[in-house]
Amino acid sequence: MTTPAAELVGVSQRFGSFTAVDSIDLQIPRGRLTTLLGPSGCGKTTTLRMLAGYSAPTSGRILIDGDDATRLPPEKRNLGMVFQSYALFPHMTVADNVAYGPKMRKVPAAERRRRAGEALELVGLAHLADRKPKQLSGGQQQRVALARAIAIRPRLLLLDEPLSNLDARLRVQMRAEIRRIQSETGLTVVLVTHDQDEALEMSDEMVLMRSGKIVQSGAPRDVFPAPADRFVAEFLGYENFLTLADGRQAAVRPEHLRVLPADTSAATSADGGIVLDAVVLDVAYRGVDLLVTLEATDPAGNAVRLLADHRADTATGPTPSAGDRVRLLAPEARLAHLSADSTAAPTAPTTAPTASTAPTEGIS
Amino acid sequence: MSAVMSRTARLRHPVAGTLAVAGYVVMIVPILFVVATAFTAGSTLRFPPDGLSLRWFGEAVAYTPFMEAVVSSLQLAVLATGLALLLGVPVTLAIHRGKIPGKGLLEGLFLSPLVVPELVVGLALYQQLMIGLRLDNFTTLLLGHTALLLPYAVRVTGASLALADPALEEAARGLGASPLRAFVTVTLPMLRPGLISAGLLGFVTSFNNVPLSLLLQTRDFRTLPVTMLDYVQQSYDPMVAAASTLVLAATVVVAIVAERTVGFAKIFGGINR
Repeated sequence: MTTPAAELVGVSQRFGSFTAVDSIDLQIPRGRLTTLLGPSGCGKTTTLRMLAGYSAPTSGRILIDGDDATRLPPEKRNLGMVFQSYALFPHMTVADNVAYGPKMRKVPAAERRRRAGEALELVGLAHLADRKPKQLSGGQQQRVALARAIAIRPRLLLLDEPLSNLDARLRVQMRAEIRRIQSETGLTVVLVTHDQDEALEMSDEMVLMRSGKIVQSGAPRDVFPAPADRFVAEFLGYENFLTLADGRQAAVRPEHLRVLPADTSAATSADGGIVLDAVVLDVAYRGVDLLVTLEATDPAGNAVRLLADHRADTATGPTPSAGDRVRLLAPEARLAHLSADSTAAPTAPTTAPTASTAPTEGIS
Repeated sequence: MSAVMSRTARLRHPVAGTLAVAGYVVMIVPILFVVATAFTAGSTLRFPPDGLSLRWFGEAVAYTPFMEAVVSSLQLAVLATGLALLLGVPVTLAIHRGKIPGKGLLEGLFLSPLVVPELVVGLALYQQLMIGLRLDNFTTLLLGHTALLLPYAVRVTGASLALADPALEEAARGLGASPLRAFVTVTLPMLRPGLISAGLLGFVTSFNNVPLSLLLQTRDFRTLPVTMLDYVQQSYDPMVAAASTLVLAATVVVAIVAERTVGFAKIFGGINR
């Protein structure tokens, strides 16, 4: 295997008594897109800033292309960084912004212009080269920031929450756009985000962080169906947590919980899985589906609040309504078995307008 | 009072609008009296003026002590402003961008000339620098005025720095600029409006200063305000009003030029926001 594009070895960052990043080991595979994913304060941005050289680790080593770069100032690392605020130079034109990196590298003027043009071409903004950043929309500014970072032919392209300042529709477009740029240039990309959809859609490799530590990493296809613990499961949108008869914890997504008539025989679960008796507390209409809030008793005997997406077009049986007694099926293949994680905070149900009793969730 | 602006201001915020109008009246009306008396044909400072003439303007311009004092004041104001910016900008950078302990203390130190009575500063400088170290009075005045202007240099440039995204400098570094090049190519242009406004404020403050200049004057180096004060004590004729009006006119010209080239909103935007 080739050397990783970058590698963190036992890297920590402490601010006073607060540990932002706690002795992490991480390899950034070459030519792939790696996302650092986690809630705010998990240390993902601090990690990126240490990689970029804006903040020196308290301990540990940072290798870029196999060479120790721990003490290298940012201007000597040759990494292209796209900031959350874009940080475009407001007093320069778009072209001058993009040509700034090559200029600092003493590239001759003609070559500079050519490279800036090329980078702007790549992001589809060549026609706006003479504008000032203020005259551009947020999405265009973002593309300029990308072009500026790419124009230095960086060893790594680092993106700090690049899509968080864009509106929802544009954000989805830019995901594909960044992927396209990544595959066209073959660049190694590290992207920081708190948005699990973004990470799932864009990553070759996703790294989940929490409280300064890496909790799980791998390809989205491997991580998504098998969250390691309750924290990861919650972060990836698993809403329902059950304690099984043997005391193990399992999580299941709302779209995998099937709402069936109460008289369905338990034998329906021929393919394995769990059948629970439940009462419908609330039904919320959401267009493509109904969000059904239920109260059930899990196999360990605890009362649990559960959410199920009920799609009228694919589901069998009658449409549930509040007060109905129903049966729930959680197919075995859809159950994610979690390792014990005593520190995970219990989740409150997201919708429970008609709640009469507080659910007691089974964390043993 | 019936200006459109004040009317709309009063409509939106009746109290603030009225106060603003009252403020303008209090500030501007006395100035109008001075300007009016400068154009008198008579020989006493009196309102209304006895006839119209430009005679006192001619006399003011021809009066050597005034003209010498104008040159002295300009020299002093330009040099003191330049020195204050040269000292103040690095301090501002240290306060806003540096990783040093005791930033509040540092800022307090550089803002303190605003608080300490100028007469005390003047007396201290007189005792220590002129008597103690035997510095000449221009050097002493220059040091005194520089200290006086430091708060403006630190505060006003600081305001424009506080508005600039710190990621800009980081971006420049990441793109390959050394700390010095990042400062020259990115930070300094961000600071431009702050520098211009601190410069203007500093220049005007130094040019108008009386307490320090009064205490540190000598026969051969005297600023314009001190010379005018001196003159008024001896003779009470409209020449002083004419000189004041000329200073006022020059200030207005500078203000208009500043507005045309940079724009007041931009120059003072850093303070208002």
